[in-house]
Amino acid sequence: MSIRFEQVSKSFGSKRVLDGVSFEVERGEILFILGRSGMGKSVTLKQMIGLLKPDSGHIYVDHQDVTQLDENQLARVRQKCGMVFQHPALLDSLTVYENIAFGLKTVQFIRSAGGALPEEEIKRRVIEKLALVHLGPEILDRLPSELSYGMQKRVSLARTLAPNPSYLLFDEPTTGLDPITTNAVNDLIHDLSRKLQVTSLVVSHDMACALKIADRILVLDHGKILAHTSNELLKLSQEPLIQDFLSETLALLPPEERFDSLAGVRQ
Amino acid sequence: MMAFFQELGATSLFFVRVVRTLFSTQGNFQPILAQIAFVSYRSLSTVLFAGVFVGAILVLQIDLILAKYDAEIFLGGLNTSTVIREVGPLIISFLLAGKIGAFTAAELGTMRVTEQIDAIECLGTNPIHYLVVPRLFGIILSSLILLFLGLLISVGGAMAVAWFACGINTLEFASSIPKFVSVSTFFAALFKALIYGAIVATVSCHRGFTASGGARGVGQAVTQAAIYTNLYILFANFGITHLLDLAEKLTQSALGVSP
Repeated sequence: MSIRFEQVSKSFGSKRVLDGVSFEVERGEILFILGRSGMGKSVTLKQMIGLLKPDSGHIYVDHQDVTQLDENQLARVRQKCGMVFQHPALLDSLTVYENIAFGLKTVQFIRSAGGALPEEEIKRRVIEKLALVHLGPEILDRLPSELSYGMQKRVSLARTLAPNPSYLLFDEPTTGLDPITTNAVNDLIHDLSRKLQVTSLVVSHDMACALKIADRILVLDHGKILAHTSNELLKLSQEPLIQDFLSETLALLPPEERFDSLAGVRQ
Repeated sequence: MMAFFQELGATSLFFVRVVRTLFSTQGNFQPILAQIAFVSYRSLSTVLFAGVFVGAILVLQIDLILAKYDAEIFLGGLNTSTVIREVGPLIISFLLAGKIGAFTAAELGTMRVTEQIDAIECLGTNPIHYLVVPRLFGIILSSLILLFLGLLISVGGAMAVAWFACGINTLEFASSIPKFVSVSTFFAALFKALIYGAIVATVSCHRGFTASGGARGVGQAVTQAAIYTNLYILFANFGITHLLDLAEKLTQSALGVSP
């Protein structure tokens, strides 16, 4: 069970956002993809589940090349992957309950589960996933427009988790969240990886969080991989962009944590 | 001109994709029925209001011309024929484009730019089946219902105005209708409504579904949907009217009836 990108390139008009990118993610690993805005981070995630097609190259999910699959085969791959989008992307006309239960009632899910889940089981699972993102069942009947942006993002995360995917793709999962919920989401990504061997690809600007929970960090710049390494080795990088990211992150940390973070560099 | 035909090609391919999706997925007609009810309910008052005035304005204009030739006896027939053949379907489809077409393009466009459509796809559901099929067929079928009601009220409005403004009573008005209107006239109007409804539905769904670029992109999708819908309807109107005229002439010559 792994994800492999092989020489993937993608352009939008004359702008080349990915230029022969290759990397691999092992089962249960947490890979953070960092980089400035517009450097192809979200495009990388969307190509993995066939929402965008690369211009060239191959993307393997469990040894299946998703660039060669038809819509039905892609739907089966998507069944194994959960994606948390940059926007909450909740369906406006459905309640919180209907949104989270959406993925548990699709033809694809029913087929893979060997039959439709009873409504009580769906409700149990919906409440369980809501609790994981620190929300209670009192919001089940509310519409997305009646929730704050942060709550919508958490409901969106609960919806992604509901079908128990093997791969989780996060596009800026903590943008717009308060610090407590941000920590809770980061802990959740970490726990899912360690306890359930869920593989996570996280697109983020949050270097502090990446240094805390990522197994490896991949830095994209101008369509190329600038670094693909462990957290500790990344701290030693002399690349100006990575140095900028690190110094910005360290400046935001309290002095005692700054000292701990620098420990890796000094060793 | 090139952009017009490129857009026409892309819209036609989108329509084929939606029809193919309808037949390749499990049939569930409840969302289509719900959409018909929604579209009809939202547009009924506008269509009825417009219908009354279309009939009323036309009757005044036609009466001015007929009065010059002392031929006001034909007012009912000429007015009803004009409304059913041409003006009714055209005005009603323009109204549908403005009301339901713009709403649909904005709704789907917003869903696209806020990644709701991507989310539906990721959760294992075909967004064309879930979002577009009910909207597209809902708009087409409700345009038939709305046209029927709009034409009915239009003739009613024309009768009322003919009575109090032109001195033609209801009986006189109705007596000339069979001279100008036949069953085939109604079928021609329904055929036009079907085509115009399909244009409103397909263009608005296509523009909304393929929108990109945030709020500005949604605005562009709505504007383009309105422009292209009206252009395609005029384009189709010319073609259909020409074809129907040709068919009528051929039928008459085959039956040996002078036009």
